[in-house]
Amino acid sequence: MNANDWLGSSAAAIAHAVRTRAVSAADIVDASLARIEATDGVVNAFTDLTAERARRRAAEIDAELAASTDPVGNAAPLLGVPFAVKNLFDVAGLPTRAGSKIERDRAPAVHDCPLITRLESAGAVLVGALNMDEYAYGFTTENSHDGPTRNPHDPARVAGGSSGGSAAAVAAGQVPLALGSDTNGSIRVPASLCGTFGLKPTYGRLPRTGTYPFVASLDHLGPFARTAQDLALSYDAMQGMDRRDPACVERPVESTARALADRIDTLRIAILGDYFQDQAGPEARNAVARVAAALQVQRTASLPQAARARAAAFVISNAEGGALHLADLRTRAADFEPLSRDRFLAGALLPAGWVVQAQRLRRWFALRAAELFQEVDVLIAPATPCAAPALGTEWLTLNGQRLPARPSLGLLTQPISLIGLPVCAVPVWDCHPTMPIGVQLIAAPWREGMLLRVAHQLEMAGVVKAPVATIPAR
Amino acid sequence: MDSEIAQAYVDAAAAALDLPIHPDHRPGVLTYFRLAAAMADLVAGQALHVEDDPAPVFVPIGPGDRVDKKLAR
Repeated sequence: MNANDWLGSSAAAIAHAVRTRAVSAADIVDASLARIEATDGVVNAFTDLTAERARRRAAEIDAELAASTDPVGNAAPLLGVPFAVKNLFDVAGLPTRAGSKIERDRAPAVHDCPLITRLESAGAVLVGALNMDEYAYGFTTENSHDGPTRNPHDPARVAGGSSGGSAAAVAAGQVPLALGSDTNGSIRVPASLCGTFGLKPTYGRLPRTGTYPFVASLDHLGPFARTAQDLALSYDAMQGMDRRDPACVERPVESTARALADRIDTLRIAILGDYFQDQAGPEARNAVARVAAALQVQRTASLPQAARARAAAFVISNAEGGALHLADLRTRAADFEPLSRDRFLAGALLPAGWVVQAQRLRRWFALRAAELFQEVDVLIAPATPCAAPALGTEWLTLNGQRLPARPSLGLLTQPISLIGLPVCAVPVWDCHPTMPIGVQLIAAPWREGMLLRVAHQLEMAGVVKAPVATIPAR
Repeated sequence: MDSEIAQAYVDAAAAALDLPIHPDHRPGVLTYFRLAAAMADLVAGQALHVEDDPAPVFVPIGPGDRVDKKLAR
């Protein structure tokens, strides 16, 4: 296998190959940069490259390996693995643009975000920063400042958002691992539309220090990858308390990667019904049915008032986002993304009573979910109502309802992130003629390991998969 | 929410917040404000008890706690 072949495999395989000197970290990084150069004119996933830094780091890894007689790198499960981050993560030397025009004029970040530091401590190599919806307020990554990210499996379609660049870079085979953020679905929606695995951990599990916020009440960070094992390896490397994030919770590190093959036949698994079926199109329902059949699940379960939960997420996001950007909305509203500017302006005006009531409903809904999780371990729901729509799509027809396309892509993810439940999005094929669509595996808080086990075993059974896209020439 | 009430509220709240709304942006702002109002109506439809607290919980900060996120920048 040459470096290009390794690049198209998994992070775990790359790390093993680098560790055993089947390939050098320098060659893997060069292959990643070359793949980006060859395909990003079509995909437009990257907004910044850190090529010099990446080559320097790769050379250091290779030098350390050459100088050592020990089985070097056993403590570095991502040795030599190229990765990239949504451009709301601080990268030393780059302005943290958060998809905006406004922020790119500000001073470059002095430090890397702690999650970047943790991945690099595990051996990974940062190669760049990725496109997103401005200030993470969107589900399509149709960014007017940096251009839209295109879906690697069909460049006429959206990649999803707001972490569209992250999902697209992984699906395009540019990197095997990327980080994104998820406030209302911004990991799970692009993972679904680009056909990658994505993990939104429990709210408070990974620190958000050194990232540009959107809605502090709801913001999460997490990884995208082409295998469940790679999600687990990166998630394990990123766990750990950081008191600078007031939402971060002190918990022991859970090694999820080591337990991927543990039994899942004792788990109580159910399909989420009602709202999560009513707001799903036929492709999405078919994807859920395939996953359920593979897990031999017939049982359905209900989360009461999910539509109200989605509405609460909408109100909280709108109000917190508007308040966060109020100063710039006052003085330079014309510099905002036209697709989200008017929503931010409206959000800044919401009455306090609406927001407080939404935060009260949020806790009520979390209690209802906790009751359900006394009877069930894992819930299965669609990640998006449909497969990736064409770029520029304004309206969707869903079970006879005509809905605005962009906000509706988050209909099925918003109730879940409202209450911070961990979710692994898994990619299902052959429910749409040409495109993937994702399914959410949902558990009670702090049970990421259980979800990754189910995802891994679905992958081993061939039910879910994330192939590298064949990118057409420009 | 009635369109006239929405317009009156948006204009008054924007003035109170010293938030100028450009005439080109106003139709979109009204559309999204009314959408938020519809969402708030849905939220309000759920009966809640006085014991149903808001979800966020404040974490007190001591004098030696190094918890300022800006330290990371």
